[in-house]
Amino acid sequence: MLNNILKTSRQVLYPVARTFSRSSNQCNVVTEAPAAVSAPPAAGSPLILPQDYTDCLPVSRSTARQAWIENTDAVAERKVGLIELHPDIFAAQPRVDIIQENVEWQRKYRYVSMAHTKTRAEVRGGGRKPWPQKGGGRARHGSLRSPMLKGGGVVHGPRSPTTHFYMLPFYKRVLGLTSTLSVKLAQDDLHIIESVDIPTGDAEFLKDLIAERNWGPSVLIVDEDHMFPANICQASDDLGYVNLMPTFGLNVYSMLKHDTLVLTVAAVKHLEQRLLYQLNRNDAASKGGKFKLDQV
Amino acid sequence: MAHLRETTDKALKLLRTLPRVQIGNLRPNPNSKQNDKRGRAQHGGDKHGAGNKGSGQRQNFMRLGYETGNQPFYLRFPYEPYYKGHHLKRQYPPISLLQLQVLIDTNRIDISQPIDISTLCNSGLLKLKPAEMEYGFQLTDDGLDNFQAKINIEVQHASEAVIAAIEKNGGVIRTAYYDPRSLHMLANPKKWFEKGVPIPSRMLPPQDAVDYYTNPKNRGYLANPEAISQDRLVLAQKYGYQLPKIEEDSAYEMLTTTKDPRQVFYGLEPGWLINIVDKTIIKRKQ
Repeated sequence: MLNNILKTSRQVLYPVARTFSRSSNQCNVVTEAPAAVSAPPAAGSPLILPQDYTDCLPVSRSTARQAWIENTDAVAERKVGLIELHPDIFAAQPRVDIIQENVEWQRKYRYVSMAHTKTRAEVRGGGRKPWPQKGGGRARHGSLRSPMLKGGGVVHGPRSPTTHFYMLPFYKRVLGLTSTLSVKLAQDDLHIIESVDIPTGDAEFLKDLIAERNWGPSVLIVDEDHMFPANICQASDDLGYVNLMPTFGLNVYSMLKHDTLVLTVAAVKHLEQRLLYQLNRNDAASKGGKFKLDQV
Repeated sequence: MAHLRETTDKALKLLRTLPRVQIGNLRPNPNSKQNDKRGRAQHGGDKHGAGNKGSGQRQNFMRLGYETGNQPFYLRFPYEPYYKGHHLKRQYPPISLLQLQVLIDTNRIDISQPIDISTLCNSGLLKLKPAEMEYGFQLTDDGLDNFQAKINIEVQHASEAVIAAIEKNGGVIRTAYYDPRSLHMLANPKKWFEKGVPIPSRMLPPQDAVDYYTNPKNRGYLANPEAISQDRLVLAQKYGYQLPKIEEDSAYEMLTTTKDPRQVFYGLEPGWLINIVDKTIIKRKQ
């Protein structure tokens, strides 16, 4: 019953995603062995990238994820190969609460509130005793800018600049990334492409490609290198909903801001290497403790 | 871990049927945020949880040990010698043989090299705080039956059973004293080398530790080596095992590596200077 409601609600909200996940052949995530899936072989030799578990043994190998590597040289989708994704990164516990903490942190740490009010000392005037202390039949007052009077100062009002900076604990930031990547993959919102080379700098090509493959509406394209080829820069330049990002800039907020996350193979490998290092380093305790400015 | 995998799989499967996780539909865990507003009326108002009058409402936190008028416990007895000199006593944080075996099995310790305080600290899982009167590690006998490794280890305190467990496997154990400055260097060698100061020599043990470290039964580093090899045989007979011959071992060189009583690091002599930027050792002129 609950499932039905959820399914229908998803159909209402995300018709694109729903049609996408319905057709099993189109589905990006393949949990069965590659031989069991009848995928049309790509032209030339397929790109098969198994995971190397020698350095970082996962918690469970049986949950290893496999994903298609897609082409970008034409609008039509063609499966170029298959990549095995490390389960500690792409099938980690989807801690939605940690994702939320990351989003909140990313919003707050850079936010400086400029709301400002004046105290009774700062409001202009009010230096003179408005009327004598006694004999007037009125309440005694020493200043017309007293906070109890109209036009007076404000007590405990906001003072600018108020910084909201804080640091989320290091491993919450790491888990935020693994959780978000796992959620994106589980919801078919993560796609892996061969490279960011596209044949033309025309925005129409990119629009067609995104529409053809049921990506988006908003798409974040991530590559390892921070220098993107000219064609994709030109094509995505005018499209506000298609953005490019190097892996070192990848963050929880941007991943969630975009509906679809598109990673190149190089980006996947780089992300896995960096995140597995953080999850397996033996001096992890040194990353705890209070955040200090200018620390190495 | 199995139950963790199961919940992860269930959660990921559930997510496939749920709406897309987005910035707009995230919210913190229920009750995870503390409400810093002071509620009125039925929302926690009235006395605001502080009770009716008295110290509950007035933040009257009594001083430690005060018993509201009674003669306090800490003043009731005129003399308590139990903790006399406690702040001066040497502490030896324990590591068990089980812990040591796990460190070896998970490749955090290389047993082809002699093991000392710096090896244990560099594993990243053990910490020594010389400033808190910790004078090194003691090896305890938990996991004694499962200890398999053949090692050359130097600790600061070890019981007889632990010594037997290590020697039974063909290993070598030694107990040695380090003064606080040497411990500071060994606890984080990299940080110390960065200071660019010549390595000082290790101090000899204080008077009350001399007995322990000159006793061959404790495999003390100041004991007579011949008495130690004699005691190795005695211990083997006491515990009923065949003592493996170290002389015929292929790792003889490593197993017999020792430090000079004045030496802090293996292979580095007092007075040498380590330049870790250029990775060079500056030695004294002969």
